[in-house]
Amino acid sequence: MADDKKSGLALIGIGPGKVSSMTLEAVELARHADVRLYEAYTALWSEEALQELEQEIGSIQRVMRPTIEQPEDLLEMAKSQLVAVLVVGDPMQATTHIDLQLRAEHVGIPVHVVHGISITTLVPGATGVSNYKFGRSTTLTYPYGDWIATSPLEVMVQNYSQKLHTLVLFDLDPSGAGTGDQRPMQAPDAAESIAKMVAKYKQMELTPEQTEIVEEIDALEVVLCSDLGTDDQRLQTTTIENLGTKGSGRLNCMVLLANLSEIEREAVNRWK
Amino acid sequence: MGRKEDNIKKATVVMHILPQIRNLCIAAHIDHGKTTLSDNLIAGAGMMSSDLAGAARVLDFDEQESARGITINAASASMVHAVEGTDYLINLIDTPGHVDFGGDVTRAMRAVDGCFILACAVEGPMPQTETVVRQALKEKVKPVLFINKVDRLINELQVTPEDMLKRFEETIAKVNRLIKQFAPEEFKKSWQVSVMDGTVAFGSAYHNWGITIPYMKKSGVSMTQIFEYCNNEDQKTLASKAPVHEVLLDMAVTKLPGPVQAQPYRIPNIWTGDLDSTIGKAMVSCDPDAELAMMITKIWMDPHAGEVAVGRIYSGSISQGESVYAIGASKPERVQQVSMMVGGDRITVPKVVAGNIAALTGIRSAAAGVTLSRDKDFTPFEAIRHYSDPVVTVAVEPKSMKDLPKFIDALRSLAKSDASLKVTTNQETGEALLAGMGELHLEITVYRIEEEQNIKVSVSPPIVVYREGLQGSNRGRAFEGKSPNRHNRFFFEVEPLTPEVVEALRSGEFKEGTVRPNDGKEVGNKFGALGMDKDLMRKIYAINGTNVLVNDTKGIQGLHETRELIIEAFNEVCVKGPIADEPVQGMFVRLTDAKLHEDAIHRGPAQTIPAVRNGLKGAMMRAKTIILEPMQKAFVSVPNDWLGQVTREVTNRRGIIEDMPSEGEVTTVIGVLPIAETFGFSNDIRAASQGRAVWNTENLGFEMVPPQLFDKVVAQIRTRKGLKPEPNSESYYSD
Repeated sequence: MADDKKSGLALIGIGPGKVSSMTLEAVELARHADVRLYEAYTALWSEEALQELEQEIGSIQRVMRPTIEQPEDLLEMAKSQLVAVLVVGDPMQATTHIDLQLRAEHVGIPVHVVHGISITTLVPGATGVSNYKFGRSTTLTYPYGDWIATSPLEVMVQNYSQKLHTLVLFDLDPSGAGTGDQRPMQAPDAAESIAKMVAKYKQMELTPEQTEIVEEIDALEVVLCSDLGTDDQRLQTTTIENLGTKGSGRLNCMVLLANLSEIEREAVNRWK
Repeated sequence: MGRKEDNIKKATVVMHILPQIRNLCIAAHIDHGKTTLSDNLIAGAGMMSSDLAGAARVLDFDEQESARGITINAASASMVHAVEGTDYLINLIDTPGHVDFGGDVTRAMRAVDGCFILACAVEGPMPQTETVVRQALKEKVKPVLFINKVDRLINELQVTPEDMLKRFEETIAKVNRLIKQFAPEEFKKSWQVSVMDGTVAFGSAYHNWGITIPYMKKSGVSMTQIFEYCNNEDQKTLASKAPVHEVLLDMAVTKLPGPVQAQPYRIPNIWTGDLDSTIGKAMVSCDPDAELAMMITKIWMDPHAGEVAVGRIYSGSISQGESVYAIGASKPERVQQVSMMVGGDRITVPKVVAGNIAALTGIRSAAAGVTLSRDKDFTPFEAIRHYSDPVVTVAVEPKSMKDLPKFIDALRSLAKSDASLKVTTNQETGEALLAGMGELHLEITVYRIEEEQNIKVSVSPPIVVYREGLQGSNRGRAFEGKSPNRHNRFFFEVEPLTPEVVEALRSGEFKEGTVRPNDGKEVGNKFGALGMDKDLMRKIYAINGTNVLVNDTKGIQGLHETRELIIEAFNEVCVKGPIADEPVQGMFVRLTDAKLHEDAIHRGPAQTIPAVRNGLKGAMMRAKTIILEPMQKAFVSVPNDWLGQVTREVTNRRGIIEDMPSEGEVTTVIGVLPIAETFGFSNDIRAASQGRAVWNTENLGFEMVPPQLFDKVVAQIRTRKGLKPEPNSESYYSD
């Protein structure tokens, strides 16, 4: 099946963190590609898992934001060869790769997308909270000097007020530039990020309801999810107040819980 | 006890009697005799031996100043003067006459309530006098006039008494026109100077005499007698009958306001805090028993005590040993010594109270313009405004690397003591960039490092600071700046601000920096008063120099989160424009639309900043940019025999001759020339006139580089900075 693809761009989802949870199509197409680029700025695999991946599909080359976002060289290469971009999880979930796909298509380069298991499906599945009841997703960011993005908190507050859960992803790039030196956010970093957002958010013009939620934010419940889809998977149900004291894994995210049903309550209580 | 010691003792007593205090300065054109006059006042008041006056120049601390014959620093001196049996304390702040150090003049104005305008009887008020008077009036400092060098009028130009009066009238009329034009509304009339009121004096500071109508009446000296004494070369007798210090200090005491009179109208002008607060009321009433409010106007390096901070106390008092905050510093600092300045002497006193000028040691965070208070959160006095931006830069580094720590210390104190000097250092290489008001200003700064700090340095050739500006607009043709991931897009339209708005920004009427959303309404209304759309201006984001950024979008979700990042990129472009990485001036930017990625992680600084930077630079290229260079007005007075050589020197330097007024054998060539062409001008003019030309300059701001030179100048700047010779085109910024 992969044999008919001689050149072009393959956006391949490699799943959460182990070769065995990749699709057969992903493995085959990656193996078949002339060049394999591992996109390492939106999420990461462990070094051991990457070695295993290289044994399975051949050598890979790690690339950062500039290669993907200023893709002139990459597209040039894809005119004559099959270039695989290996993306942790699903290539089109919580990424900006639609831009890469559109650019390639504009210049007539065929693009093959292979989906993978995404964090967006793992989270409801692993925690047991209903995927029907999620609002907008967001990502906690590292501060940049005195600046910090406040929209993650705004999204959390908005979802909460509409009785919707929030999938909160964690930043892994303290520089904000996507060029290297990644350090996936740990639970204490996330707690600090939230505290900074709260301080800034309180200076904005808020509705009484927003004020009420943000005043009581410490008491809100979250499920901290670490290394989902890997052998190290770990879930912890806690509150924002206690988030900073929790140990976490290599790659983390959390769900801010809102209006739990009885069955959801029972499910998340398993991780207390 | 000598007279000087006696006076010092009196001064410490009178300091506490507010109605008997006068704080004043002398403002004058270079070489119009300011230092001679101040020394005479100090000597006359018994603060130094009178034989030394004129020769010793107490206020010229620096060897450098004496050698060049111009006063560089504003120092202060207190003296006691009796009028009708009452002792008055006169705190005199000296101000530099050279244009390069205009920053010091403004600062000195903050400390005083009254001002002697010194004009030369022969030359009349010069442009520099006009600048100084304007600065005084802007700070609500009341002027009186002293027409100096009258002896030269009588002896050298042989004028008749009628001619002399006519000349005086012209000078007075000129000064009064300035007052009418630039004085605050409420004082336009009452501050007019006149001979009959006794607000005009004339005389010769050099020969120690002076006269006013009230003093004529008091002493019986008549106009005829003055002519006689001058013609008979007996100005000594005249000086004994009408000593200049008596006459002028009388004038200061009777015609200039004391702090109690002046602070009610000066405090609202220089302080933005709440006037109805306790401290506001205390300053308005100059209450010595209230909390401390003091503004540092000058830092002076004492060879023994180190940094000495001199400033005016507006309320309360300051005592030795107490702790105060230099507003902006995180920790309080202890005042080691409190003193009054008497020329070169610092006289330590236990405390100095409101209404006076005090000199402090121990406050290391103090710098010119800094406010001192016991309250950490005290609203500081307005940032001090400067009339001119630095226009020339040199790179300086120590010749020996072992001097590096000393060199960095020296730069630190230079930057503190001279606000018109901008210092940027590279801590690793030790190279420092000094940006100043002209070649001479930087020469003097380098001299200070070499001679006073004893550090040998190497200096690069001077480099001119250029500006980038707009010639057109891209209104209706917004330029789209994309983030690297192309999920974030910012649309900008740029256009030149009107000259009125640029002037208001330049003169510091608006606070520079990010505008808090809560202040938007007030700031918007102020722009509205200048003819801009006030509803639009209420959505202002930031002011950088003379550039303004507003948000002209509606209802874009998440935009408020990127506000600070947009401002950061705007600031970046204001400092380094698209043409040659030079600062941008007079630009009005509207953000007209924005598209943002859903998730904060994909619209962070690494995405937003380049998108805005490209959007702004692209918009500027689309609107059409120009490059501007700093201009200087030169006044070269030269005997007519050398006039041809001098005009040639001016015109050869792309100069335009504006006027050539002549007086007898001397013609003054008034030319406007680009600063880029003025390096070495001083030497060439001297050579061309065999040393007979006397000249000075005034900075005129920036003017467009002529179109035929545009490419050449841009290529020069860019090559010097290691950039490719041509700027990037519009399309470069759209990818």
